[in-house]
Amino acid sequence: MSEFATIDLVPTEPVKAESPLAMCRVDVITEPKAQSAGVVVREHAFLGHLVLRGNAGDAGFVNGVEQALGVPLPLKMGPLSVDEARGVSLQWISPDEWLIIVPGGEAFAAEQRLRETLGGHFAVMNVSGGQTVLELSGPAVPEMLMKCTPYDVHPNHFPVGKGVSTTFAKTTAIIRRLDEDRWALVIRRSFADYLYRWLLDASEEFGVHVAR
Amino acid sequence: MQHYSGFELVKHGLSHHENWQRVWRNPEPRSQYDIIIVGGGGHGLATAYYLAKEHGITNVAVVEKGWLGGGNTARNTTIVRSNYLWDEAAWLYEHAMKLWEGLSQDLNYNVMFSQRGVMNLGHTLQDMRDINRRVNANRLNGIDGEVLDVKQIQEIVPLMDCSRNTRYPVLGASWQPRAGVARHDAVAWGFARAADALGVHLLQRTEVTGIRTSGGKVLGVETSRGFIGAKTVGVVTAGNSGVLAKMAGIRLPIESHPLQALVSEPMKPVLDTVVMSNHVHGYISQSDKGDLVIGAGIDGYNGYGQRGSYPTIEHTLQAIVELFPAFSRVRMNRQWGGIVDTTPDACPIISATPVGGLFFNCGWGTGGFKATPGSGNVFAATLANGKAHPLAAPFSIDRFISGKLIDEHGAAGVAH
Amino acid sequence: MLHIYCPHCEEYREEEEFRPKGEAHIARPQNPEETSDEEWGDYLFFRKNPRGAHHEQWYHAAGCRKFFNVTRDTVSYEILETYKVGELPTIDDTSRRAAK
Ligand SMILES: [Zn+2]
Repeated sequence: MSEFATIDLVPTEPVKAESPLAMCRVDVITEPKAQSAGVVVREHAFLGHLVLRGNAGDAGFVNGVEQALGVPLPLKMGPLSVDEARGVSLQWISPDEWLIIVPGGEAFAAEQRLRETLGGHFAVMNVSGGQTVLELSGPAVPEMLMKCTPYDVHPNHFPVGKGVSTTFAKTTAIIRRLDEDRWALVIRRSFADYLYRWLLDASEEFGVHVAR
Repeated sequence: MQHYSGFELVKHGLSHHENWQRVWRNPEPRSQYDIIIVGGGGHGLATAYYLAKEHGITNVAVVEKGWLGGGNTARNTTIVRSNYLWDEAAWLYEHAMKLWEGLSQDLNYNVMFSQRGVMNLGHTLQDMRDINRRVNANRLNGIDGEVLDVKQIQEIVPLMDCSRNTRYPVLGASWQPRAGVARHDAVAWGFARAADALGVHLLQRTEVTGIRTSGGKVLGVETSRGFIGAKTVGVVTAGNSGVLAKMAGIRLPIESHPLQALVSEPMKPVLDTVVMSNHVHGYISQSDKGDLVIGAGIDGYNGYGQRGSYPTIEHTLQAIVELFPAFSRVRMNRQWGGIVDTTPDACPIISATPVGGLFFNCGWGTGGFKATPGSGNVFAATLANGKAHPLAAPFSIDRFISGKLIDEHGAAGVAH
Repeated sequence: MLHIYCPHCEEYREEEEFRPKGEAHIARPQNPEETSDEEWGDYLFFRKNPRGAHHEQWYHAAGCRKFFNVTRDTVSYEILETYKVGELPTIDDTSRRAAK
């Protein structure tokens, strides 16, 4: 266990939590039903997001992360390590940086497990309040994404399970392919309102439904 | 030189305009000149003209690898203004502005200098603070300038979106009424014709391949047409200055970058001034032909390719459409790139070098066109006297050793 | 549009994801206090700016957020190689001439 003051960022007092999209003005016409929409947008708010930094060349670090999180540490850009049942994902961001996403309310426990398991030079930071996740489904999602990013989202180049950090609508986002038909975007709080409205605007021509 | 006038126009009309004299000669190079200018763009030709006119030195050659005015002179957005922040830069560009104001008469050639005003928009409080500071500095230097509010801007440019609902609302602008545009080709041709008439040799398609020196002094230039001697050589080659410097074994604090511009299809007059925005990063005017002339930032990487990248075009047009939503339906006709020689402080280098008799006039970066007559004028004096003209002295290459930089990144208009 | 291979992401990415960061392999003087004005000015401001192969730094701003090096032709803009910080280039104008 490293010598480090930790704090659970989720307050014990009941306070009203709000997603970065709480104040969003939606000014496109949305489809009333998901079945008739080409793109269905659903926010997964309040998940636990952690940024992990460490040395991928250190076997102790690599094994420790797997021990703490129950999924292997990916050592290359591309496929995520995912435990769907537990809602845990681990994505390579950079040679020394990973994004951990866990179910809402579990970020502090995951951080503590990492601190208990890992030794040496590493860092873990709870960024849950700093980003949110948008799930995209529907037949027109790849076509819509092509309007937003220069990254090649063709299935040959973007297989199920892959995640990339790239340019998106003049800002940045993480794009993930969850399965054959579902995609996800991890977006920053400061751009969330802009990107959300951009997505709805880009999806309008295909018919867009906002699932809640 | 055949004088151009209304009378001549009528007279030549009687012979179907078939008997106009050639605008300049294509002479064979002499083996030795008093002064050689490398680079036949606007700055080089202006230098030759002022050498002959103001210093009586006519045994001068302008050596150009391509054709006259075929580089950045033909590749810019033709904006002329002098509202620079620091004294040294303001004096230099204002010196040019005063020459612009009499240039068509001086050259007996219509350079179509149109003082339609240039507006620099402010979109943030910091922009407005900078604009106020710059306008005050300009006025202290005797340069015209005003700070406009949104209502005044809207009166001058009714088509621009000055509403509060834009992503970067226009808060105000600096305005230089004497600024404007000129016809870029005409500037090169006018200087070329006038210099030729005074006896200067314009050697086109003559590429400099080496600079011959001996004992730390320049002897002349090796060219594709053989060696040409001169005890004084002035290099005015913009984006290729680094290449020429290398030939002489010296280094310059310069990086060459692509800078691109676009023109649209011609249309009826809708914009009778020049609008620049550093913040959304684009600038636009409408030429006499009616096409919109649009420019923006440099490509961030070094390049000699005379072409620009697509992300920069996209960014530029987004900025223009942000300011002028109506232009979203205008089609672009052409896009091109020049090579700009940028310095660390966004100011030019007009300087002697460690090689005796070898002088450089370069580093004008994204803003050389506006300085054409002033640059040529002070460089001619520098070459004629063998020491810097007082207005050129602060722009010595030594400033990158002494640290006495003249930081004009704010007024340069294009970020680099 | 440049298509740049990021040696960290191990994939070709579009130019828009990157930022060019100027000439590579510029060493900061070891003892700034003992450096002459000429040497310090040279370090700060003077660049090779070649017409041809250029060793330069790029930053993968929208991707892995790492710096890396690129050997690129400044006339054709062809990217000849990319390599990590700390590694040395294998291509320059001399080696290109020899390969011809
Ligand atoms: Zn990368």
